[in-house]
Amino acid sequence: MTNNKNLKLKYTKNNVKDTISAYLFLSPAIITFVLFVAGPVVLTVCYLCFTKYNIITPTEFVGLDNFIKLFDYPVTGTIFKNTLKYVVVLVPLHVIIGLLLAIGVSKEVSGRLKYFFRTAIYFPSVVTTASVAIAWTYLYNKDFGVINYFLNRLGADSIPWLISTKWSIPAIAIFSIWKFVGTPFLYYLIGIQNIPDSFYEAATIDGANKLQTFFKITIPLLSPTIFFVITTTFIGAMQIFEEPFLLTNGGPGDSSRTIALFIYEKAFKSYQMGYASAIAVILFIIILLLTLIQFSLQKKWVNYDYE
Amino acid sequence: MSLFSYKKNKKKSDAWVKIAMFLVAAFMLLPFCWIISTSLRLPKESFSLPPSFFPTSFHIENYKRVFTELPFFNFIFNSIKITIVVTVGQSIVTSLAAYAFSRIKFKGRNVLFIIMLSGIMIPYQSTIIPKFLFVKALGIMDTHLALILPALIHPLGIFLVRQFMLTIPKSYDEAAYIDGATRFRIYWNILLPMSIPSIIVVSIMSFIMMWNDFMNPLIFISTYEKMTLPLGLTVLKGYMGTGSVSAILAGVSISLITPLLIYIFGQKYLMQGSALSGIKG
Repeated sequence: MTNNKNLKLKYTKNNVKDTISAYLFLSPAIITFVLFVAGPVVLTVCYLCFTKYNIITPTEFVGLDNFIKLFDYPVTGTIFKNTLKYVVVLVPLHVIIGLLLAIGVSKEVSGRLKYFFRTAIYFPSVVTTASVAIAWTYLYNKDFGVINYFLNRLGADSIPWLISTKWSIPAIAIFSIWKFVGTPFLYYLIGIQNIPDSFYEAATIDGANKLQTFFKITIPLLSPTIFFVITTTFIGAMQIFEEPFLLTNGGPGDSSRTIALFIYEKAFKSYQMGYASAIAVILFIIILLLTLIQFSLQKKWVNYDYE
Repeated sequence: MSLFSYKKNKKKSDAWVKIAMFLVAAFMLLPFCWIISTSLRLPKESFSLPPSFFPTSFHIENYKRVFTELPFFNFIFNSIKITIVVTVGQSIVTSLAAYAFSRIKFKGRNVLFIIMLSGIMIPYQSTIIPKFLFVKALGIMDTHLALILPALIHPLGIFLVRQFMLTIPKSYDEAAYIDGATRFRIYWNILLPMSIPSIIVVSIMSFIMMWNDFMNPLIFISTYEKMTLPLGLTVLKGYMGTGSVSAILAGVSISLITPLLIYIFGQKYLMQGSALSGIKG
């Protein structure tokens, strides 16, 4: 009996043998984590961004040159401004449209229609971005595209979606909403379904109108989900790559080129690995800082009481 | 009285909501209808207007052309192979780590766990260049290993499976330990089978991520025969040009089959995955 008790204690007790076996269990995860996540981050942040490296000649230490170079080229300003535009447009649209769609679907009484709406909205989120982006380049075609055909039928002029500096970002944003709004939508839908009906019943009996129940019950109870959606869509929009790469290739000119696309081009097209690393470090720091700010602000408005 | 008017009001607004939802559903689904029906048109009619959202003709030739002019079978086979190998490999790496984090007390556990969790927040741009250099140094550039090895580590998956294992009562495996079972046997015979539901959720999430991955094949793969479906499709687009949109859309249609099957058979787990990751925030 005492023997059993000792063994039972030993099973979760801290000793050398257990530490060894724990690290054996963890070794595949640790090796891959060090090789492909932690090691690369440390190398980028602490070393590569201070060097000049083009794969062929050995790395050369250049100090802060890569960062100074950033301010010399006007294109850097453009790609940061463009990325900011994507963030400013995409984050609020995903947060708001996703929520409205989730409320709309949750209001549907018929189970079959609810399933149909949910599938229609969520399905684009699981398909391959690259393949549907290819299809959308034809939908956006100025002369033969389906979208302009409908605009013409409605009496509007054709829009040069992907071939004008003015419309390239809006075109990519519309595609991005179509492709990805299903993800926040699903988070909201799950969140709404978790709100007990009794809350709404109580509010109705107390004479609250729809707007009041929305702002006093739905929004506060969904605030953890809203916070999660803001954080993840922000991080996603900061790193937007496939959409501009496949729809416009950053063009026309630099009008839709983003930080992520620029890093790819510098690193793997012109092999300026050190310079590309420096931009990646700045992107990393911006994402990290703004995510931390969001986390510190959440205490003011996110409500975890009902979880 | 007030109750009556509330009900009436609700009915009226619901009709508008329903109409709006149908319009949204049309916006979401019509591109797919257009892709499929255009892929069945004659190439020279791909751009003919008005557009068709339902097949008006059935030209299967487009589908045949995709396979004869490019190694499209290879693209499909490579995508299936890589996705399955990664999903299985990742499940093993993830569940082994989750077992250690949830069942063994060891030096450095909390620190290591927090470091691995922070991996979720790291943008891929800040890892891709050294990853490229490692892959080059390992001599696996332009091979499928270059796509498989870096994908084996999935910090969010480790977190979710660990959370699930913590909910399994310790009494199950403690009893086995007292009976003299080794830790690996406990993991293999007890914890792993019991945490299958969480592993399926994580696997479906990473299956979709892997199947749709474009950036990594773009950087690591350059030979046609080794390409995956998303990368192959962009090659197909460049190769066919604008002359045969319907053939390109035939390729696009083929690439939609797997996500569709995953959605149909795995939506329960996709919902659970969203619920779990949503709560995490």
